[in-house]
Amino acid sequence: MDSDAKFGQAALEHIDALFGYAMTLTRDTSEAEDLVQETYVRAARAANRPDGDGNLKGWLFVIMRNAWLNQVRHKHSGPLFVELEANQSTPNAQDNPHVVYLRKLEREQVRQAIESLPDAYREIVLLRDIEGFTYQEIATVLDCPAGTVMSRLGRARGRLRKLLSAWQTKAHARARVSAG
Amino acid sequence: MKNCEDIRGRLTLYLDNELQGTERATVEAHLAECESCAAVLARELNFLNAVRECGPLHKASPELSEKVVAILNEGRVSPAPLAAGKTRSRRSLWIAAVAAGLLVLLLPALVWRLVRRAETPANGKPSKFALVAAETHLRHMRGQLPLEMESARPQDISAWFANKVDFSVKLPNYQESSGQEKLYTLEGARLVSLENDYAAYVAYRMKDRPISLVITSDSVARPSAGEVIASRGLRFHYNAIDGLKVITWSDRGLTYALVSDLDERGQQSCIVCHEGTKDRDFIEPLKPH
Repeated sequence: MDSDAKFGQAALEHIDALFGYAMTLTRDTSEAEDLVQETYVRAARAANRPDGDGNLKGWLFVIMRNAWLNQVRHKHSGPLFVELEANQSTPNAQDNPHVVYLRKLEREQVRQAIESLPDAYREIVLLRDIEGFTYQEIATVLDCPAGTVMSRLGRARGRLRKLLSAWQTKAHARARVSAG
Repeated sequence: MKNCEDIRGRLTLYLDNELQGTERATVEAHLAECESCAAVLARELNFLNAVRECGPLHKASPELSEKVVAILNEGRVSPAPLAAGKTRSRRSLWIAAVAAGLLVLLLPALVWRLVRRAETPANGKPSKFALVAAETHLRHMRGQLPLEMESARPQDISAWFANKVDFSVKLPNYQESSGQEKLYTLEGARLVSLENDYAAYVAYRMKDRPISLVITSDSVARPSAGEVIASRGLRFHYNAIDGLKVITWSDRGLTYALVSDLDERGQQSCIVCHEGTKDRDFIEPLKPH
C-alpha cells in the first residue's frame, strides 16, 4: 500500500468525529457535510502531512477549524465564537446532590444539554469529553494556550452540570406529581 | 498530606489524565485516605461518564462517506462551494505595494543578518509579536499549522489573503524579475491567531530550511526590544528565540516578523541576491563593521 492510500485509509477513520465537530461548529447538516469535504480536500493536498497516525486526528481537526473560520470570516465581520466571561459563576458539583443521579439520565438528555451549550463551551466539551483530546491537543486545535483550555473546559462543564441538574430537578418534581 | 481544598482543585486534571508522576501519585495517596475527597471524585466521575458515554453525537451519512472516499482516492472531487465572502475593508493598495517592495529587498538581507546576529545577546525580552512568530514557525515545522493554501506564485498568495485580513498582502516576485538564481521559494500561506485577530502567515523555504513571515497591522503589534539596527529609515529588531532568528519591523502601517533557523549558508543569499544590484546601498549599513 503506497503512502497516499495509507494516509487515505487512516484519514477516513476519523470521518464521524470530523462530522460531529463540523455539526458542532456549524449546527447545520448541509454546511457540516461541506465542511467535512473541504477538510479532506485540504488534507489530501497538504504537503506536510503528519508522519504517524498519532496526531492525524488532531491535524484534521485543525484543518477543519481553520476552514470553518474562513467561512465565518466571509459571513461575518469576526469569529462567531466569542470568549466567555472568565468570572462567570458556575455551580460547584460537590455542592449539588442531584449530580449524583446524572448517570441515570437518558443519553439523549445529556446530548440535548451539550447541544444547548454556548458555541465555545459546546466545542470544548466535544473535543475533550467526546473526542478525548488532551488539553495540549485541544490548545493546538483552538490555537490558544493550554491554560485557556483548562479554564474554558471548567466553565463549560459547570454550565453543563447546571443544565442537567435543573432538568433532573424538574423530572423529580414531575415524578412526585404523577405519584401523588 | 495535601489539604482537601488543594486536592479537590486537582481532581478534574486527575480525571482528565493531565496529572503525571508525583502530582498524580500525591492525589491518589490523598484519595486513598480521605473518604470525603473520594466521594467528590466519585460524583465528578459519574458526571464525566454521563457526558462521555453519550457520544458520538453525530455520524456521517453513507453519501458523505462516499464523497470523502472519492476525494481521498482521486484528489479531484471538489466540495460544494463555500459561502460567498463579504468583502472586508482593506488598506490602500499602495501601502501594500510599497511594503511588498521593501519586503522583496529585505528578505535575503534580513535572513543573512539574522544568521549573523543570532549569537549576540538580546537587549531586553523579545516582543510578544516576535514570540508568537517564533512559536508559529515551530508549530508549522511540527505539522501543527498546515498551510491553508499552497502556491509558489506570490500573486496567488496575495489573492488568497484578499478578503481574509484587513490589510493587503502583496508578495514580491523578486527572484524571477531580477534574473538571479532562485535561492528561496514560496510555499504557501495560512491565517494565524493574534490578539483576537488574524495575522497573515507566509511560508518560504531556502536551502531546504523553512522561513516564516508573519504580517499584521501595526495597530495590533509593534516591534520592540532585541538588538536594533537602523537602515533606510527603518528599525529592525533582532532576537534569538529558542534557537531561531527572529527579526521584526514596522513599515507603513504593517508589522512584520521574519523567522528562520538558517545556518551560515544563509549569508550567501545576501551576496548572491544583492551583489551588483541597486540594493547595495541598503545592504551596506546592515553589514557588521
